[in-house]
Amino acid sequence: MVQTLRRVFLTLLFLSISTSNTFASEQDEAQVLDVMGTVADHNYFKVPGFINGGKIYLPRIFYWESAEGESKLSAYLSTKSVLESGEFVETEEGALVPANGGHIIVDLSITSHLIYFWMGMLLALVLTVMAAGRYKRGIGRTVEPQGAFQNMFEVLFVFIRDDVARDNIDHHKADRYVPFLFTMFMGISFMNLFGLLPWAATATADLTVTATLAFVTFVITQFSGTKDYWAHIFWFPGVPTWVRVILTPVEILGMFTKPFALAIRLFANMLSGKIMIIAILGLVFIFADLFGAGAAYGVGIFSVSLTVVLYALKAFVALLQAYIFTLLSAVFIGMAAEDHAHSEEGYYTEHSAEEVSAN
Amino acid sequence: MTFLLAGGGGLLSFNTGFAIWILVSLIAFLFVMIKYAVPPIMRALQEREQNIKESLESAEQAIAKAEKISKDNEKALRDAEIKAQQIRKEAVEEAELIRSERISKAKEEAAHLIEQARASIEQEKNQALVELREEVAKLAVKSASIIIDAELDNAKNNKLVDNFLSDLTKN
Repeated sequence: MVQTLRRVFLTLLFLSISTSNTFASEQDEAQVLDVMGTVADHNYFKVPGFINGGKIYLPRIFYWESAEGESKLSAYLSTKSVLESGEFVETEEGALVPANGGHIIVDLSITSHLIYFWMGMLLALVLTVMAAGRYKRGIGRTVEPQGAFQNMFEVLFVFIRDDVARDNIDHHKADRYVPFLFTMFMGISFMNLFGLLPWAATATADLTVTATLAFVTFVITQFSGTKDYWAHIFWFPGVPTWVRVILTPVEILGMFTKPFALAIRLFANMLSGKIMIIAILGLVFIFADLFGAGAAYGVGIFSVSLTVVLYALKAFVALLQAYIFTLLSAVFIGMAAEDHAHSEEGYYTEHSAEEVSAN
Repeated sequence: MTFLLAGGGGLLSFNTGFAIWILVSLIAFLFVMIKYAVPPIMRALQEREQNIKESLESAEQAIAKAEKISKDNEKALRDAEIKAQQIRKEAVEEAELIRSERISKAKEEAAHLIEQARASIEQEKNQALVELREEVAKLAVKSASIIIDAELDNAKNNKLVDNFLSDLTKN
């Protein structure tokens, strides 16, 4: 019994960190349960098996330096054509390196996550342009919005404008940030929801994507910072000078932790849901392996019903995380763009009074 | 663990080339959204909200105006009623005045007539008295002459006449 439990534990542990390659070496190709492969980025686009064997290979683009110190930008239709060209060879770990020495500086290959990023953003853009067309024709401007599409669109748009932007950013500045916040909300929502489709990948379950999104928020936050905001970072008003020595590094650190938290939150939430579903469905195959088909059917009932619940939860979390990302972006921008002249005055006098009494 | 942390498709790795793609395309999408897609919607919603606000305000104003008009009308009606009442009252008072005036005038006239009648009656009476006296005097003289014929005692006669006359005046 103990040994069986140990085997289950080890298999789970193994599953969670193994790659397809190591797993494939142990078992038949057909029985591979590739957890990391499902959430990781690929150089192919997964499609149903009857089309091109389930994979559409994407172009590879490299900016690389040859052994002679020459920088080159090379583009190939797929990994196969890269190898056929003879300029690159595959290493044992599956990475590509220039055949005659040198190294790749930047790998600009189109990946599956990039495709899903484009799809999500493009869908958001197309829907917005369609809605904008209706508003331009006068529907929704002079008369009430008509049809399910426009009404649903308006619910989302007005929600972002009123409850996200105007609630968190000073009113006369809020409208400037609505396009950005709405793009982020719609784009992230669609990317998250695409992850629920069969064969699809979740672009937001990739740290590079969420970090880039958070980076854009960071840049916008810094550029909308008022004099007051910078004063609070570098020369905190109303505190003794020696406190500033501690406060300034903390505040500078705070500038970066905010977008960092944004990136990690979205990434971890989207990734965990995906891994959880794969792991729970994977139990069926583990039990089939360990105890035979009967146990697998029994676990299957449990696994599938739990997966259905998780799926519904993920659909909710997909929208929730998009909302949280947008809301926190608005909060950070609002904090930077706030010009709180009145409260600051009170704060200042209050603290300078403290200084006087301390002396 | 190397797979989790190392580059080349690891879960926690940051892929620079991929990030460049994401950043460039995100900026492109944001540019199109901020420049072309969202502003018409913002403007349309703003315009509609403004319209609705203005319509509500103008409706409120119209209601206030109508209420004021109806109030004014009511006030005018009440004023007119009060005025009519006053006029009626004044008319009644005037009529009363005229009636009483006329009655008093009639009474006065009647009194005047009575007075006149009384005066003329008095006059007639006096005249009648004078005439009667003359007649009586004549009668007395006549009767005296008759008596004289019988008895010529003047002294006695005069006394008789005087007595007679005084008796007459007494009656």
